[in-house]
Amino acid sequence: MADEDEELSHLRASDAGEIDLTEETQDFRFLDKLTAGHDTSSLSLPKRGEKDFESHATNRQLDQLEASRQAMHSVLSWQRSHTQKNHVLAMYEPQSNMAYVDKVKSQHFQTIGTNKAGREWLLPEEALFLIERGTLDCRWPVKREEGDEANYKIEAGAPMSLQAAYAAFVGFEGGVGGKLTLEMYNVYAGLKRSGYVVYRTGTWEDDRGELVSLEPQTQEEVKPQPGLFTRFFSEIWRRLSEPTHTIKPEQLAFGPLIRPGLYRNYNDIFRLLQLIPSHDRTSPPSFTLPPSSDSPFRLHFDVYRTTAKFRKSARGTPDFRICVINARETTLPTGAQINDLMAQVPEDRPKEGEQLYKKLKHGCRNVILAVVDCGIPSYLRLADVPFSDERIYERSTKSTRGKGGGRGRGGGRGRGRGRGRGRG
Amino acid sequence: MAVDIEAQNQIQDVKTNGTPLEPREKVANDRPKTPRPKRPNFNEIHAKPIPLDVYPLPTFIPHNPISIVRIALSLLSHSLFPPKPHAVVHRAYFSAETQAIHVTDAASIRALWEQGFWGKGSLSRSEPQWLIGEKKKRGIEESKTSAEVTQNRREERKQFKLERARAQREAIEQQLRQEGKLDADGSIEDMVDDGQVSESPRGTIYTPDAGDVVTVSGDAIVSEIDKSLTESAPSWRRVDSAPAEELEIKDQEHLQLTPEEAFYLTYILGALAIISISGITDEGPSNEFYPTWYLVRLYAAYASSPISETHVAQLTTTYQLSKDNSSSRASIRDVPSIEPDNQFLLRYVVYHHFRSLGWVVRPGIKFAVDYLLYLRGPAFHHAEFAIMIIPSYSHRYWNEAPGSESGIDKRKQELGKKDWWWLHRVNRVQTAVFKTLVLVYVEVPPPWDAKGGLEVDIGSVLKSYTVREVVVRRWSPNRNRD
Repeated sequence: MADEDEELSHLRASDAGEIDLTEETQDFRFLDKLTAGHDTSSLSLPKRGEKDFESHATNRQLDQLEASRQAMHSVLSWQRSHTQKNHVLAMYEPQSNMAYVDKVKSQHFQTIGTNKAGREWLLPEEALFLIERGTLDCRWPVKREEGDEANYKIEAGAPMSLQAAYAAFVGFEGGVGGKLTLEMYNVYAGLKRSGYVVYRTGTWEDDRGELVSLEPQTQEEVKPQPGLFTRFFSEIWRRLSEPTHTIKPEQLAFGPLIRPGLYRNYNDIFRLLQLIPSHDRTSPPSFTLPPSSDSPFRLHFDVYRTTAKFRKSARGTPDFRICVINARETTLPTGAQINDLMAQVPEDRPKEGEQLYKKLKHGCRNVILAVVDCGIPSYLRLADVPFSDERIYERSTKSTRGKGGGRGRGGGRGRGRGRGRGRG
Repeated sequence: MAVDIEAQNQIQDVKTNGTPLEPREKVANDRPKTPRPKRPNFNEIHAKPIPLDVYPLPTFIPHNPISIVRIALSLLSHSLFPPKPHAVVHRAYFSAETQAIHVTDAASIRALWEQGFWGKGSLSRSEPQWLIGEKKKRGIEESKTSAEVTQNRREERKQFKLERARAQREAIEQQLRQEGKLDADGSIEDMVDDGQVSESPRGTIYTPDAGDVVTVSGDAIVSEIDKSLTESAPSWRRVDSAPAEELEIKDQEHLQLTPEEAFYLTYILGALAIISISGITDEGPSNEFYPTWYLVRLYAAYASSPISETHVAQLTTTYQLSKDNSSSRASIRDVPSIEPDNQFLLRYVVYHHFRSLGWVVRPGIKFAVDYLLYLRGPAFHHAEFAIMIIPSYSHRYWNEAPGSESGIDKRKQELGKKDWWWLHRVNRVQTAVFKTLVLVYVEVPPPWDAKGGLEVDIGSVLKSYTVREVVVRRWSPNRNRD
């Protein structure tokens, strides 16, 4: 039976997929591989080692510990340097709070920047990210005297320090709230470092994102009408076998909703019970709240997985959509805020014929919230799920039908799990 | 047939426990396997998803003409002698002290549990099993309750952990012997005694489950294992040597329903009637039942916190008055009106929504949520979804009326307490127990109970609420890269 207070962790141990590398202390012996060869082409991410929890005075354990320490030291002492070949110069432009690059050298520009009039323009977060990485050498514009029309080279400007870059690029754009906040930059840089391609959703010029209208539904195939004869008999059969039930107003008001009567199956009863309307997800979405520049729930980033065929000129539909939230300034979204956030993302329905639980968890629209508390992001996937599309009662009768003594597959499955492990 | 197998299993059970010689072989291949008793056929027991009867027609088999005759016959008989559905209306009473609805009749308790998993045994974890357990304890009956199965499983697991601890310990000792730190017949304890090891390996074994520490030292591991082997039966199962007398044990347990469950059974299915308190006399309960409008008001009054004693008193006196003289509506104005976001209503709306889709909905307080959703029921599947109710005030009324009048300020404050730390706490609990968190936003309509009048048009009230389900899951950049 449902066993709520059962320990469960033993089930978890075998589930390797659940182990999150980022939340464990790394075993440096495995990380050592990264630095030993210096051959960055054949690298794979390190795996976890076994963990001892207590000293038990064997030499073997001591040796292992020492080896780990050594590995850690060698990892930390690895000297990192930049080559002259990859040195990229950029110029800061105060009017737009952006930076531009004349000569593109790095691989990064395949997934960063926009080309305008022969120059590669970098958004504040892009420039800041490259500076922080050490890839970009950004220069301040040369201070001009009145009437000084001379053309200066980028090299003539003073180099921008990282501290200055943070001060200049975060929160000084024209537009909504200075646009780029530190939280957004944290999320941007984190996702870039994790290997994603990240772009701003839209232009961030308007007070809120754009309403995504529904894609036109594919035309339903018109079923060939059955002949008059068949229709006549099927109608008779329907009337005979399924007594129609209606709910009278006084029943609805004072109950019981299900009047005593002859019911052929439970589905008929359940169909009568659909009283509470759920949010209409089939009609085009609309905003509930008036547009406001300080609404925190808007889409900020389009996130793409890295693929070989990615082109920044034709990005396609993003794999994920991120909304960055300051954990200390906002609370859980209200119903209206959720509605307006979901209205900004296109429909993303699960595949046909997916398992019930998978289907429900996927939902019809989804958004990833990056909740940032002082620089630490926590990602939550919110999915708008039409539970009322899945009629569980129809499903359960399907599985019991034709089972004879009621000892079919379903029963076997129930027996296997119900008692074996408790998890309520 | 089923009974035979069960009996055999029990005989075997006794043998393995009674004679220590026989299970030796079994220990050799892995660990002792106790034969599992045959489980009851849950598909048969829980065939009805709700406590109502249906009359399906016999199946039509094209190559068997008799089937048509059978269909015709049953159609004819059903139309001539309509079967009596709703033959059973279970009786219950509302207990103000426990704020639960109590069902005391044994047949009703069984029926409500089996036909849709309603309520909870007052002395059991969920299924009412006190009587069986009690009989078992006194040695009258031999059947196993599910609680007992759980206890056995825990015992097995504890033993497994002890054995694993022993294996780990032996491996360490082996290593120490190889390194020459330990004599061939010595143990770690000797080293500690001699002061060779400063940091004493206490034999503390941390299992992967956090916080679950089996602390057994030295030889105690072995003795502990032996001990648990010999008394593999949990303590409460131990049968006294004296043959049990045929005692008649009175069932002390009742079924307790939450207001939402009871209201669903009463208002929707008409399968439960709440006996009015005044109807309970010395001769036993009468046939006087509360009307549904009164039940809404009653449950709502008890759901508001803190419970206002005066409200409840006003409600009961008004009910008495209206019953005594149905034409007089004098004191109606005294009846406190129901807030549109009353806890009972919010909970009922969500309960109704999922119940009516076919889920088995059970309270989720043990999982830090409002409800758990089971597919078919807890006997068949684990719950997959955990429901958290969030009231939502998007309606124009809440934004247009001044904050003090509509009370929206207070409500917003209440919602503000649900911050991101709160959400992460709740969500973390759910992932630890393999459930998926679902936030259910309930759109609260403007106040609907201001007009006065006792009766509540429940149907139209319920239809003015809408629900929206939002599934929350953690997302990790590291796991979604490919």
